[in-house]
Amino acid sequence: MAELRACSLAVVVCAADADALDALVAPGYGARVLRTAADEALFVTAPEVVADVAREVADRIAALDDDAIVLDVTDGWAAWSLAGDDAERAFSYLSHLEAPANRAFVQGDVAHVGAKVLGEPGCLTILVPAYWREHLRERAVHDARAHEVRP
Amino acid sequence: MSLLVVCPTCGERPFSEFSFGGELREVSSPDPAADFARVYLRDNVAGVQDERWFHLLGCRRWVTRSRDTVANRFVEG
Amino acid sequence: MGSLRFEGRRVETRDGDTIGSALFRHGVRTFSRSLKSHRRRGLYCATGDCANCLVTVDGVPGERACTTGVREGMRVQRETGWPSTEHDALAINDTLHWAMPVGFYYKVFVRPRWLWEVAEKVIRRTTGTGTLPVTAAAAPKPTRYARVDVLVIGGGVAGLAAAAAAEGRVLLVDEGQIGAAASDPATRAAIERFATQARAAGVELLERHAAIGIYEGPSVPLVGPDELVEVEAARVIVATGAVEAHGVFPGNDLPGVWLARGAARLAALHGVSPGDRAVVVANTDDAAASVQTLRDAGIEVTEVRGRVLEARGSKQVASVTVLTPEGRRAFACDALVLSLGWAPRDTLLRMSPDPEVSGAGDVVLPGCTLAEAAQSGRAAGGGRPVEPRLAEPWPILEEAGYVCVCEDVDVHDLEAAWDEGWTSSEILKRYTTATMGPCQGALCSRHLSSFAESKGAAAGAQGRTTARPPARAPRLEDLIGGVHEVIERRTALHERHVEAGARMDRSGVWMRPGHYGDTNGEIRAVRERVSIMDVSTLGKFWVAGRDARALLDWAFPLDVGAVAPGRARYLLALDEAGYVVDDGLLAALADGTYYLTSTSGGADRMEASLRNWADRLNLHVHLVNQTAHLGAINVAGPYARELLAALSQDDLSRAAIPYPGHAEITVAGVACRAIAVGFVGELSYELHHPRSRSVELWNALLDAGRAWDIRPHGLDALDVLRLEKGHLFVAQDTMPDDHPTKLGLDWAVARDKTSFVGKQALVRMAALPLDRKLVGLRFDGVPQRGAPLSVGERIVGRVTSCAVSDAVGASIGLGWLRTIDGAFPQALVAGDLRATVTPMHFYDATGERPRG
Repeated sequence: MAELRACSLAVVVCAADADALDALVAPGYGARVLRTAADEALFVTAPEVVADVAREVADRIAALDDDAIVLDVTDGWAAWSLAGDDAERAFSYLSHLEAPANRAFVQGDVAHVGAKVLGEPGCLTILVPAYWREHLRERAVHDARAHEVRP
Repeated sequence: MSLLVVCPTCGERPFSEFSFGGELREVSSPDPAADFARVYLRDNVAGVQDERWFHLLGCRRWVTRSRDTVANRFVEG
Repeated sequence: MGSLRFEGRRVETRDGDTIGSALFRHGVRTFSRSLKSHRRRGLYCATGDCANCLVTVDGVPGERACTTGVREGMRVQRETGWPSTEHDALAINDTLHWAMPVGFYYKVFVRPRWLWEVAEKVIRRTTGTGTLPVTAAAAPKPTRYARVDVLVIGGGVAGLAAAAAAEGRVLLVDEGQIGAAASDPATRAAIERFATQARAAGVELLERHAAIGIYEGPSVPLVGPDELVEVEAARVIVATGAVEAHGVFPGNDLPGVWLARGAARLAALHGVSPGDRAVVVANTDDAAASVQTLRDAGIEVTEVRGRVLEARGSKQVASVTVLTPEGRRAFACDALVLSLGWAPRDTLLRMSPDPEVSGAGDVVLPGCTLAEAAQSGRAAGGGRPVEPRLAEPWPILEEAGYVCVCEDVDVHDLEAAWDEGWTSSEILKRYTTATMGPCQGALCSRHLSSFAESKGAAAGAQGRTTARPPARAPRLEDLIGGVHEVIERRTALHERHVEAGARMDRSGVWMRPGHYGDTNGEIRAVRERVSIMDVSTLGKFWVAGRDARALLDWAFPLDVGAVAPGRARYLLALDEAGYVVDDGLLAALADGTYYLTSTSGGADRMEASLRNWADRLNLHVHLVNQTAHLGAINVAGPYARELLAALSQDDLSRAAIPYPGHAEITVAGVACRAIAVGFVGELSYELHHPRSRSVELWNALLDAGRAWDIRPHGLDALDVLRLEKGHLFVAQDTMPDDHPTKLGLDWAVARDKTSFVGKQALVRMAALPLDRKLVGLRFDGVPQRGAPLSVGERIVGRVTSCAVSDAVGASIGLGWLRTIDGAFPQALVAGDLRATVTPMHFYDATGERPRG
């Protein structure tokens, strides 16, 4: 049975010209870069370093596109992880998407809402807009029969 | 499911991830009479037409794609 | 050894039994009564292809007795006939064919009209199959998604060979258990061999899942015991085999008439003799194996070739007449076993014209040998589609007999329909309902087209009818899993509202508090003291970039340049036809960027619209949708500023936060953008803040607000508050074709602007007479929302909002109104009430109160 856990992640969005994002040197602090659109990137980080990541991205992008928006949108996302040997199978009850491999990222329809899915060692991390936090939990428990592990 | 739309960011996705924006048309018209035709009259071709699709559940960006309305498949180009 | 309960009696079962084999061994011969004539029907195909043996199992109707395995203690009931299937008084119908002509519903009970009402109730009780369990809670099954390179449907020799030969990710699905239905040793051995090969090749074998259709893609839904699987496949190979052809002759539907493979299966797999004396009409090569199987089971078999002219019998077949090469011969028998030809199970194959869908084995090569099946499977699996081979000439229809056993359509019915002018197979199908029963034409589809052909139908009018899903009958709970669910959006304050006793309502895509128990008290709190409302549901956007102003000036009818930094404006959104689709607020920020809001239901549409125009006009704009990441709380009432002052050190004066305008302030330690707005008609501030701080801010406001006896208000109160101000709700008070003039919103349109979305349409419509508009109304009682507004007999409008307003001291409303002879009527009737047209601003008409 797959295990479902709420995760604590931080997210920074950068909306900028495609060329600027192409040229942007990714920030440090172990942030994962998700290129969600030609003119948009999300940086997924640990909550402790989100301010540093946002500052670094803002500093770097300003030189490339002075109109760019850089914003800590952590509150806009609810993150859940599906872990265990059955994680991929559980995920197939939520989405037609291929579960992304480790370090890979895919965005699309998960439980009928727009989601970002991150492949991580031993688990899948699913980000959905925060107002769908409960929806995803309910679908994962009910449809994917995941076992919710509360801290 | 299964009419697949190619999104330049996300790849090939079922149309159910998108909202349909209709036939591609001019953004504006020179005068109100021409505007009436632009807004209300559709070509509704049996064949290939250019269409707008918004990838609502993915990147949330628009793409313009050509679809053969008879075969209901997207064509290259 | 075990048992099941059959209509109250205990029936012994053996290992491997199906319901059908157990009941037949027990002596049951009549499994159902036919749809219209209530004729006895027994096991016929025994392979799950016909609908003769549908029974109710544990309260669930429509289970195929012949393929459903037994479970200990299961309760089985037959479904048709009154008072019972065995003794059916309605069998009288069989003598009343004249009263039930083909095209029944078009001909009978037409006049007098009331007769149909009565007749329909009777017909509903006496026809049809089982009764749906209306009380049982349907447990929706989850949907699983699978993407494969090759999907093979059917786990026989051809299917397994195809799966073993296919490259990539391969899924093979079978509606039963692989190999379980094979009655002869050679087939069983071949299936075992290929199944082993397929497993070794890494094929996933999925049993007890039925493919119910092939949709474009190709996409194939599979119904399994506890899931629905949606398979996306690059290629689909249909290897569903063939069933022996259905014979059409007088008496062809009597119990005791069998299709040969089914009869053999019953004898070989279940040790049940279909009869003691069997006549086998052996017109195919395959028949020899069936004959041998039946003989091995100790049955006395007479083997003949030829045309079956007639079968006779009362409760079951007793004799048969066959036209053999040697002449006409009659036999006494208790089983008539038919091997007349092959009907490919091609329902799925006929659903898709896509080249990605092909067939293998009997379904394209009816009557093929095991070697041919394996070879065609390998070819199809390897990507070389098999050219379908036409079946041998179709068995002829005799002058009478049932063509469609499910729907009780016989040869006479087809003749009558033809004579009435329905001269193509598709139209014959619709008129007679042949092929439209539970078996979906598995047995009779080809008879219908060959009938049309024999009648000389035009070339395009004699083909096979189009097959449509479902090929197998799914249950409703198979299909509802996750498909039509409403997906609730919840604000960060959801739990707080529930704790506070709010009635949570579904409002569009959001769950929102309707009220907290006392709507009038909530209204008074806003008008007299102070109140808060969760407005986190608003769409919220940040727009930046050097073309931000150009984009907004194009996308909306207001003059964006006239909005100074620090100020905010009411925002109307029009579509290209000039119609109002949404409204919201635009706030200009100091750095040349903009923050805007949409209605709660309009966020996705507004984002799509803005991105569309930015894309089409090639503007340098960056947009972030902040709907999810920001919460918003509206603080409203005469003491709103005092309440904020108790929690904030910031300057809250009109100089600092103009009306309408905004500023960044800190409230209870939470950084907020405070927007001074006037939707409810009192001094008010929307506090937009990071979602994670919503609860903290809400609690702090409630805490500090105790001094003013604060209470939160919900949607019900909001509905009255904004109505008193004459503020409309887009969609509730507007029609899909309302331009601003009709709504009295011309002030929100900068007509001097050269261009904006909908501008040309507004210019065009300005030249047309204004024949409908939204008006304010006063009533001499309490109307219903939606009540028609009339003048005399003529309906001229409708009430879109209404409430009894304490603040106004009247029953007020909004509604739309049409002109009569070019003028808007002033005195109206709304149901039993009188209504008078008034200005829309009922409360604080000069708008002083929100300025504070």
